[in-house]
Amino acid sequence: MRSLFDRMLIDPFNRLADQSAHVVPILIMVLVTLIIGGFLAFVARWLTYRLLQAARFDRLVQRTGFSSMIERTGVFRSPSDLGARFVQALVWLFVILFALTAADTPATAGLVLRFVEYIPNMIAAGLVLLLGAVVSRMIARSALLAAVNAQWPAARLIAGGVRILVMTLAVVIALEQLHIGSLPLLVAFAIVFAGIVFALAIAFGLGARDMARQWLEAKVRHSVAEEEVFRHL
Amino acid sequence: MDELFPNELKARLEQIREADIVVGIPSYNNARTIGHVVRAVSVGLAKYFPANRSVIVNSDGGSKDKTQDVVMQAESGADDLLLVSHPVHGSYRISTPYHGVPGKGSAFRTIFAVAHHLKAKACVVVDSDLRSITPGWIELLARPVLEHGYDYIAPYYHRHKYDGTITNGIIYPMTRTLYGKSVRQPIGGEFGFSGSLAGRYLEKDVWDTDVARFGIDIWMTVTAIAEGFRVGQAYLGAKLHDAKDPGADLTSMFRQVVGSFFRLMESYEGIWKSVNSFEQVPMFGFPFEVGVEPLTVNTDRMIQAAQQGVADLREIYSSFLSPQTLVDLTTYVHRNGQGFHIPDRLWVRMIYEAAIAFRYRTLDRDHLLQSLVPLYLGRTASFVLEVTESNASQVEERIEQLGQVFESEKSYLAQRWDAARKENLHAQPV
Repeated sequence: MRSLFDRMLIDPFNRLADQSAHVVPILIMVLVTLIIGGFLAFVARWLTYRLLQAARFDRLVQRTGFSSMIERTGVFRSPSDLGARFVQALVWLFVILFALTAADTPATAGLVLRFVEYIPNMIAAGLVLLLGAVVSRMIARSALLAAVNAQWPAARLIAGGVRILVMTLAVVIALEQLHIGSLPLLVAFAIVFAGIVFALAIAFGLGARDMARQWLEAKVRHSVAEEEVFRHL
Repeated sequence: MDELFPNELKARLEQIREADIVVGIPSYNNARTIGHVVRAVSVGLAKYFPANRSVIVNSDGGSKDKTQDVVMQAESGADDLLLVSHPVHGSYRISTPYHGVPGKGSAFRTIFAVAHHLKAKACVVVDSDLRSITPGWIELLARPVLEHGYDYIAPYYHRHKYDGTITNGIIYPMTRTLYGKSVRQPIGGEFGFSGSLAGRYLEKDVWDTDVARFGIDIWMTVTAIAEGFRVGQAYLGAKLHDAKDPGADLTSMFRQVVGSFFRLMESYEGIWKSVNSFEQVPMFGFPFEVGVEPLTVNTDRMIQAAQQGVADLREIYSSFLSPQTLVDLTTYVHRNGQGFHIPDRLWVRMIYEAAIAFRYRTLDRDHLLQSLVPLYLGRTASFVLEVTESNASQVEERIEQLGQVFESEKSYLAQRWDAARKENLHAQPV
């Protein structure tokens, strides 16, 4: 007959020891994985930075005009720094996934599976955002040049508006890819945008009707007059 | 090349078989003026080339105003003349739509193909909106080719001092500097050329580019010079043309002409780098003083355009102009009224730096060319303010001075061009 002492103290302690014997190696392994992974991530960042510097990546990106945008964030020193930190983040992601897999519990296994299944959506969203950034920049620049060459005073405002519009659409599509509720954002955007256009139309139509007429008349007369008197070729 | 011809044109060419001279007239909604041009050409052919078989080809871009009908129905005009020699063959007349990208270059391509098909010895092209064309123009443009062994005859006109500002400010001095031939009107619009040069033009794969549009004129001139064809020019008097030029808005015209010129710098890099001086091109015809139509220019509006451009497009300019050029530009462009001035050296450096950026695609080429328009307007305003009180010969001297600056800065161009190439090579991803 086992004593009360054994049942109250020794047995729980043994059970704890058994469970600890199962968990502690896993925890140690996760910890070691994270330490080594962290070191690897740091090395990957350092190597990537050196490689990008050697390849004059900063100069290449400078041509696309993204350099100033990256530097303006105040987080990254240069495009090479951004690239290196991105690689570091990727390595960290894989290390964490590896560590979770090593834990080998139903909860972590489910988490890893869901995360792996989610990766294509993340890639698609990332690509959409990247494409949106490039396209919005190109379209905004085209709008800016067209507005400047037409001598519209609010050229930069127009270009900025175009850029925000295109980028918002890209964000909505990216959120859609990530299965994050994008409908409220889209609706909010549509309401605000339509509201702005409507307000401008009313303001221009009521408040500046005469100015609009005069401006159009002057524009038509002016362009005809200029065509008639001046040839460039 | 026959794929360029509609069936009707093919049949017509089979009838004609061969010709000595082909005169091409590109058109688009020019019913109002083309009749006069066709009559002048017909008389010119009858009067000066009575013994030659000749064909007038109207290459039309789908006119809605019965331009083609006007061409076919225009009287020859030769019946009213007292001719010493009567035409042996007469001249054939063709009006056909062209294929390809809508534009003057595509219209010319069809004319080249007709000349090539008919084995023409000489080909002349004239604009369809000309009011000052005379029968003598045909002789001046065709005879040096037919009888003196020239391959390319560019026009030489008297123009108003404010007219032809892309020619005077960029194309003429730069063509002279880079290719070593002083052709005063390289994008004049009227040209004479040999059948062999027409064949050479057809061999080129450029018909999907701006050459198919307004880039055609400079492309023809530079190709002829750079490929060693014998080049001359003919004095035609004054050029007066219809006030309205369909589709000719400044930005696209500037983009097409300057873009084509920059693209040619890429194609003929080896040629222009080896040229160290320029020579005068032989002139045909008898130069005489002519009156030109008065022009008025709104310099205030141009200055505003330049100032707005420098303020709003600073980010774009900083991507292809050197820091010093950008500083100079900002300094000069913000002076108002009569004090507004863009010096020659600054202008030349901006153009050269833009050419380098175009070559190495520092930014989107279309954006680059569009961004030059405000600078061009600023420079034009500066030039107009400078020559307000000058007479024609003083203006000509002023343009010569600009040409000299283009020449003296050519080493700057070559040096920066090579430096950009090295940078570009190093910047390739490993």
